[in-house]
Amino acid sequence: MDKSLDTLKAELLARVAEATDEAGLREVERDALGKTGVVAGLLAQIPSLEPSERRAAGQGANALKATVQEALATARASLEASALEAERSGDGFDATLPPPAARRGSLHPLTRVQRELEDLFTSMGYTVLDGPEVETDYYNFEALNIPADHPARDVQDTFFCKPDGHLVMRTHTSPVQIRAMERLKPPFRAIAPGKVFRQETVDASHDHTFHQMEGLVVGKDISVGHLISAMKTLLRGIFRREIEIRLRPGYFPFVEPGFELDARCPFCEDGCGVCKRSTWIELLPCGMVHPNVLRAGGIDPEEWTGFAFGLGLSRLVMLRYGIDDVRLLLSGDLRFLEQF
Amino acid sequence: MYLSLNWLKRHIELDDLTPEQIALDLTLSTAEVEGLERFCPHLDDVVVGFVKERVPHPDADKLGVCTVDVGGPELLQIVCGAPNVATGHKVAVATLGTRLPGGVKIKKAKIRGVESRGMICSERELGLGDEHDGIWVLPEGAQVGQPVAEQVGLVDWIIEIDNKSITHRPDLWGHRGIAAELSAIYERELKPLDTSLPECGDDAPWPLRVETRGCPRYVAVCVDGVQNGRSPDWLRALLLAVGQRPLDLLVDVSNFVMLDIAQPNHLFDRRALAADGIVVRQARDGESMTTLDGEQRKLEASDLLICSGDEPVALAGIMGGDASRVEGDTNQLLLEVASFDAGTVRRTSARLGLRTDASARFEKTLSPTLPLEAAGHAVRLLQSLQPDVRISAPVSDAGEWSDPSHELSLRPARVRALLGCEVSDDQIRGILERLSFKVTVEGETLRVRVPSERALKDVTIEQDLVEEVGRIWRYGNVPEQCLTAEIAPPPHDPRRALVRALEDRLAGGARFHQTLSYSFHSDDLLRRVGLSDAPHVEVQNPVAEGVSRVRRSVVPSLLELLEAARRQRGEVRLFELGKGYVPDSDGPDGSEGSEGSEPTQLHELGIVLSTDRAPEALSNAASRLQGLVEDLLEAVEVGAGSWRAANVAELAPWAHPGRAVALPSGAEEDALPLAVIAPLEPGLSRELGLSGELQSDTAVALLSVDALLAAPRAGLHYRSIPRFPGIKVDVAVLVPETCPAADVRAAIEKAGKGLVAETELFDLYSGGNLPAGTRSLAWHVVLQSTDRTLGEKEQQSFLKRFGRGAEALGGELRTE
Repeated sequence: MDKSLDTLKAELLARVAEATDEAGLREVERDALGKTGVVAGLLAQIPSLEPSERRAAGQGANALKATVQEALATARASLEASALEAERSGDGFDATLPPPAARRGSLHPLTRVQRELEDLFTSMGYTVLDGPEVETDYYNFEALNIPADHPARDVQDTFFCKPDGHLVMRTHTSPVQIRAMERLKPPFRAIAPGKVFRQETVDASHDHTFHQMEGLVVGKDISVGHLISAMKTLLRGIFRREIEIRLRPGYFPFVEPGFELDARCPFCEDGCGVCKRSTWIELLPCGMVHPNVLRAGGIDPEEWTGFAFGLGLSRLVMLRYGIDDVRLLLSGDLRFLEQF
Repeated sequence: MYLSLNWLKRHIELDDLTPEQIALDLTLSTAEVEGLERFCPHLDDVVVGFVKERVPHPDADKLGVCTVDVGGPELLQIVCGAPNVATGHKVAVATLGTRLPGGVKIKKAKIRGVESRGMICSERELGLGDEHDGIWVLPEGAQVGQPVAEQVGLVDWIIEIDNKSITHRPDLWGHRGIAAELSAIYERELKPLDTSLPECGDDAPWPLRVETRGCPRYVAVCVDGVQNGRSPDWLRALLLAVGQRPLDLLVDVSNFVMLDIAQPNHLFDRRALAADGIVVRQARDGESMTTLDGEQRKLEASDLLICSGDEPVALAGIMGGDASRVEGDTNQLLLEVASFDAGTVRRTSARLGLRTDASARFEKTLSPTLPLEAAGHAVRLLQSLQPDVRISAPVSDAGEWSDPSHELSLRPARVRALLGCEVSDDQIRGILERLSFKVTVEGETLRVRVPSERALKDVTIEQDLVEEVGRIWRYGNVPEQCLTAEIAPPPHDPRRALVRALEDRLAGGARFHQTLSYSFHSDDLLRRVGLSDAPHVEVQNPVAEGVSRVRRSVVPSLLELLEAARRQRGEVRLFELGKGYVPDSDGPDGSEGSEGSEPTQLHELGIVLSTDRAPEALSNAASRLQGLVEDLLEAVEVGAGSWRAANVAELAPWAHPGRAVALPSGAEEDALPLAVIAPLEPGLSRELGLSGELQSDTAVALLSVDALLAAPRAGLHYRSIPRFPGIKVDVAVLVPETCPAADVRAAIEKAGKGLVAETELFDLYSGGNLPAGTRSLAWHVVLQSTDRTLGEKEQQSFLKRFGRGAEALGGELRTE
């Protein structure tokens, strides 16, 4: 034996202590415990020893092996601990570095609000209906109790189609009321969102094309009280809180009595730009379905009554998102669309 | 329409109410008040001055220097140019600091060397009229130092009513009608108004003949002894307040009567009328007349004329003629008060673009009982101002009319059921009576007589009476009531579900932006996208020249957005779901819609992808859209067939003519394809501005929502997860250029003998050291079995079989 066991042990433990990384530990491990390492060397010498010494030499070699193994394990644990410690460090971290942009697509704001309303109303048993944007005079006017020469045709600002004006670009979603009555048997509840057209001067608050949502409920003994309740539910759904409303007389030939519904301005308490300092927002025309309209839809007005309303979807979208120019809605401007 | 509060007070006591309260109550019970404002608030600072002395200006012949008492401790020296200012006049003085209409602020000034501390005003300078031949001389009783407005009755409030809210109420187009509403709202009496016709003289009645049904009633009254001139201040003040320019007594009285009881009327100078009398008749085609505004009007047979003899003197219900207008010295008048057919007036006024206060009222259908009342009202007013005014002959009254007043039945129970509130029978009766309905009780029912002024188009059915009760009772008093009908959940709506799924996939994973666009396409856009000649639904009255056509497809507007969008973003991803309309082609030449036929509606999804990335063989705009559409179809569970080259020139002129692909809908031969995808037609790409620095790789996908709905659902079915691992084999094959990729893929499938689980083309290459006319396709292939782990043996036999397959295609397996 060249060196004593103690010297060998001290040397190996010193090398373990000096090693600063896994590679260093591996080197010591190989030199001490490898096939040609120190411990193997010690064990290889045993057969050449006196039988009386063999036992002690074997024990010594194994003890050395165990000691080195334990030292290695400890050193490894400590290396792992400091590595974790280093990883946990916040040094050099800048919380304000801008993240890479996650590009995404978008639904049109009209789609978003329309879906909310569809979900709200379908949850209350309303059917969602659709109607053509190019309508006949019959559905757009005649069946809605607006005969030719009726003064109400003046305020409709209609786009008439060639050649004879028999077809029009629908001026409201109300024609779907008649289509609904033709399709559904009372009692029923329906809404009909869609695009409508008015031949009028375009500015930040008026466009010649915009979106509305019609509502129609037909049943036994439907009253103004039901209409009020349904409108309050609608507003709760839109604004997520209780909103005070008021009904005042309004004239629309297809309802009788007819109302304008005002909602207490959800944006202020004592007057703001949105409500023109009045604290009320004129939100939607509504009323009890006119008996002539029920008859046009093949429904007996003595047996059934109903209410209808026409919500300005475009206007609601503008209120909801604070959009100040209605023309943005149909502009297709990417800078607008990307915000939703 | 503007209302003057002072005017309303002529009809009803309102002094205890604020203008705000009145406006609110009108809004809640009658008609929408759009505005409420003080009349001429700037007049508050203009005071009555007394001209103590006027001396000529030392340096200017036309100017005078006035010493004016405005009630303060000091007298004011004011230089004034008007010739009619004289010592002893009461005048309107704008003192220093006052701002006049138009923004002029009165300042101390030196005029030709003489100091002037204020301004003596004319009515025009105060915004009160057109007189400019001198300053405004106030009545002698005006109190010095007091605001002029108070002294001449100009302290007033203007209430603006939304015209749209009273289109059905002809009675509300005058102050008396609104006052009647207030009388019902506040439960107080209207002040009496005598509109009976005064005694008539016994000259010969003016000859009158009505030859048309367009005039149910015509009343002509000969009024003599009027001295025309300036109207009294109270009358001028009322007219000014509601925005009417005072002119002279006769015109002012005529306007007053119309604005008071909503019945238009007209005054002729009898001296300008032919003695053979008034004839009311239809115009003749080609006839013309000059109206009061000096315009020559071309007439048609549908127009209604008032003629003197055969000579037109007024366009009935719209405007008088120039020749018979009343002048300053007119003292022999013919007062016309008539009823005209609403539709006739409306059509003529619309055609001529001539809307007047009179036509606006006639369009609402006025009661034929009104003319005599209006005539009485006008003559009594003139008589109250000039006692010598008289009716010289019996009134001429012609036409076929009857009193429209009628009776309706009203069931109080129905009122309560429709309103949903507990209004009692007595309350119902009280409200109706306050609104001038006459009510008698008949058992459970009320018999309600509708007053003539409201009987024609306004109150005709029971529901109309329910509204009368409801609005005065106030809808705010109706309790909220939850809907309780038994209703089943709405049926599944496949179209809405499909649209939502498409929207979600596109806006979500695919990161496309949804746009919605106008339905009108400009001629220029249609020309650019090659749709000029396609038949379109077209409007007669477009919002602007050249945008009369209604879209057939959503694609053109998407294309129109590209240039601007590409300037903002290197890659533009947009989609629109919407409807297009194709006119019915039953017309004689197949392009004009025949009368009355509804157009065919197409529900479409248009998708555009435009990118600045150069197109590559395996990754370009069109191929990306193809992948996207396959994903969409999977999302909506529509089983896709295989893409084919498509000739879509007809359907999609925007598509590249040689590179379009389509997915047939599987239905009949000529059915719309489920989807068409193509790069943009190269010429169109340039036409849209996508060249030079905006050079783009652009492709369009057009899907038919209708065809998707009709397509059989593939459904979504779970496939069990394979228990044995697959092996990946990469193969490259060199084939003639003309050999389609689909054939190569089929050869792979065949060689796999049912073991091919996946194929993916990962490289496409030609040129370089490859023989001319050939190309190389490289595929990742996964072989997998459901019952064993595959090994080298299966791989080798697959390769061997595929090698033979490649040879059959005229190609060979590449080893390197």
